[in-house]
Amino acid sequence: MMEVRHLKKKFQENTVLEDINLSFKNEDVTCILGPSGAGKSTFLRCLNLLEKPTEGEILYEGRNLLDNQFDIRQLREEVGMVFQHFNLFPLKTAAENIMLAPRLVKKMGKKEARKCAETMLAKVGLADKADAMPSSLSGGQQQRIAIARALAMQPKMILFDEPTSALDPELVGDVLSVMRNLADEGMSMIIVTHEMNFAKEVADRIVFMADGRIIEDSAPGQFFSAPKTERAKTFLSRFLI
Amino acid sequence: MFDWSSAIIVFPRIAEGMKITIYIAVSGIVIGFIIGLVTGYIRTTEYKLLKKIMGFYVWLVRSTPIIVQALYIYFVLPRLLDIPFDRNLAGIICISINAGAYISEIVRGAILSVPVGQWEAGFSLGMNRLQVITHLIFPLAFKNMLPALGNQFIITVKDTSILTVIGVAEMTYQAGQYAATSFNLVESYTILALFYLFLISVLSVILNLLEKKMGVGTK
Repeated sequence: MMEVRHLKKKFQENTVLEDINLSFKNEDVTCILGPSGAGKSTFLRCLNLLEKPTEGEILYEGRNLLDNQFDIRQLREEVGMVFQHFNLFPLKTAAENIMLAPRLVKKMGKKEARKCAETMLAKVGLADKADAMPSSLSGGQQQRIAIARALAMQPKMILFDEPTSALDPELVGDVLSVMRNLADEGMSMIIVTHEMNFAKEVADRIVFMADGRIIEDSAPGQFFSAPKTERAKTFLSRFLI
Repeated sequence: MFDWSSAIIVFPRIAEGMKITIYIAVSGIVIGFIIGLVTGYIRTTEYKLLKKIMGFYVWLVRSTPIIVQALYIYFVLPRLLDIPFDRNLAGIICISINAGAYISEIVRGAILSVPVGQWEAGFSLGMNRLQVITHLIFPLAFKNMLPALGNQFIITVKDTSILTVIGVAEMTYQAGQYAATSFNLVESYTILALFYLFLISVLSVILNLLEKKMGVGTK
């Protein structure tokens, strides 16, 4: 459903991504791994143009996002994103956080949006938090609400940018289990993460990046048991798994 | 030393002037706030030409004293444009333009203080720029700017006193007129000062209530 060709991203003179070529299939769960500074998050953020690529093409269902005629909002309606720091709307309740985009973008009625929000909250195990303010919730709960907010747009795909990196260790499990359920339901996901066990168990495919390039692109079984490159071996040796 | 009988004479005159002070201050704050919102917002965007124009406006206002602005608007502009200006109208224009420039800087700072993640969250959900601004950025920015905004409103109320130089019949003008003709300087200016204290105290109470209602200082 998405194909990246010769993607290049520079910040001033600093090249962050160099000639990235990848394609993503429907219902696939792809985990992007790699050392910090590898360009993983920048790559993910290029996929919904939060970051504008310097060169290359990103084809979504056959159309190039970087064409001037392409309305990026259309893609963003269909491809959700979950951020490292949740980015909930602090003045709005959990339910209002979830209802806002369906109401504004999909022009959904208030009642219907509220019902949708409640369904999504139940889905992430927070049915009782509809009227809670984000500041009264734990990081894990906030992140699950952020996932519910993305789900309320009925996306075809969700991008996760280190969704558990800002969480206390004991809260990581709740967020990962929500993501695991989504994977089981067939949601297409691209996940930048440092959760090796999660990647091993849930991903259909591992993309390993370092220094702005893709170093390996393989099935998790292959990647974790027999990485092809020294770079990946060194990286994995730092994780006890 | 303090002559109560002349204090009683000057009191209603200054009270009369208070109507004009309030009229001009409220008009100036409302119009200045609108100018400030638009100007402050534009200065955070990428519209290069508009940004330059707004930047020029802020520079011009901040780099000249308000008293010179009042004199210029009342005495010079009518001659340049060849249309007579009413004193009060000139006063409102002067106060609005002046407050607008300062408020625009408050607005600009408050918008820039909203974490970029809020923009990104809105955009990533398919919202357009206007929706992100009105539903996400502005409510947060407004909460952030309220203390500074209140401060500017207080300054603006007091700035109306300089309009006495163009003969606007506000409180300071009334007190000055009475002082000059009766030589009761002590009474005139003491009562005048008390009027400003009263006016600003009322405004401060209103601003405090507003801050409380908006939850300023809480997350």
